Amino acid sequence: MIGAISTPVIIDACKKSSISDGSSSGSGSAGTTASTNGTCAVAPTETEGPFPTKAPASYVRSDITDGKTGYKLTAKITIGNINNNCSALSGAIVDIWHCDAEGNYSEYGGTGMQSTNYQSVHFLRGRQTTDTNGLVTFTSIFPGWYSGRATHIHVHVYNAAGTSLNVTQIAFPEGAGTALALVNGYNKGMAGYTYNNADNIFSDDKTGIEIATVTGTLAAGFELTFKVNVKA
Amino acid sequence: MAERIITLCYRKVIDATNTNRWDKFVHEDSFAEFKMQAQFYNQEQKYNTFAELLLNVPAAEKLHFLVGGSVIGYLQQLKNIIPDILDNLGRRFLSFDNFKFELVNSDINSIEKHKIALNFFSKPLIWHDTIGNHLLVSQYHETNDEEVFTNLFQLQPFLSINSIKTIR
Repeated sequence: MIGAISTPVIIDACKKSSISDGSSSGSGSAGTTASTNGTCAVAPTETEGPFPTKAPASYVRSDITDGKTGYKLTAKITIGNINNNCSALSGAIVDIWHCDAEGNYSEYGGTGMQSTNYQSVHFLRGRQTTDTNGLVTFTSIFPGWYSGRATHIHVHVYNAAGTSLNVTQIAFPEGAGTALALVNGYNKGMAGYTYNNADNIFSDDKTGIEIATVTGTLAAGFELTFKVNVKA
Repeated sequence: MAERIITLCYRKVIDATNTNRWDKFVHEDSFAEFKMQAQFYNQEQKYNTFAELLLNVPAAEKLHFLVGGSVIGYLQQLKNIIPDILDNLGRRFLSFDNFKFELVNSDINSIEKHKIALNFFSKPLIWHDTIGNHLLVSQYHETNDEEVFTNLFQLQPFLSINSIKTIR
């Protein structure tokens, strides 16, 4: 993306002496442009690259797996508008994020010069815009868990202009035969697990409004559906 | 013979005064992403600047990482070549895989105050010699060749040696 630049040229006064016909006419005039030739900076001289094009944020994708291993999970989240009888809200931006099978989020330390490969660093984070049915779909893996929290998926709903409408979390059904039980915390097992009724975010939910519907099998993968009602 | 293997870091600062088209895309998109992501850490809408958020909301430190997600597409357009840093022949010569995005400061009400830094980390280089204000380096890879092709580049602001190891 570096273009060629021209080097300024010293313009000299130029006199033509013409002895044979007796006329003397000069050409040009003393220039005032100073030479930058020979100063420290190297002139960039490369073929100019193609113009940059507008690129959406890397979050804008439906498949947020980024190569992470885990049981497949398809999440279908519908946004409803409380100001319109909870009917579908289209054009809303929905961000989701959750931890991997080991319980780790994609987020590297903020201090120091720690660096990571820029292509794979935002795993398990995604953004979609709701369609006319208020629906967004993500392909991911079933989340793992970490100490102190029940398994959950974070959701942040914005309007089309990017103004925040709702920040919430999705809880998972518990008990024998549920996806949570089948996945069994991946390699960690469930020893020390915090269940929904002890979780500091979900324990006050007595009606289960924060709990998604989850169906499926380990072999075929799971499907999660969840509705978020916002004031738009 | 001992060889010094170094990586360089180029810290490219972009603010409202950058005019280059790529720089402006990065500036504008990262500002839009900052305004979205900052809301998570500012749910009572008490703060306006990134500095205020960092001071009052410890978790806001994550915004460096989160806002950086908005520029990955632009990094891909660079095709792994670090911009701006030229060798003495006027060519870009450094490549990168690793990168770190930094929010320097921002204000949800003013894109004029939005300033970011892109830290590009070069692939390893062998540091052969220093000639005046220039370093003589070559791309580090296993080779039995006697002759290696080198680049000569000038030490300059915002470019530093990020790491060094000596191998024998």
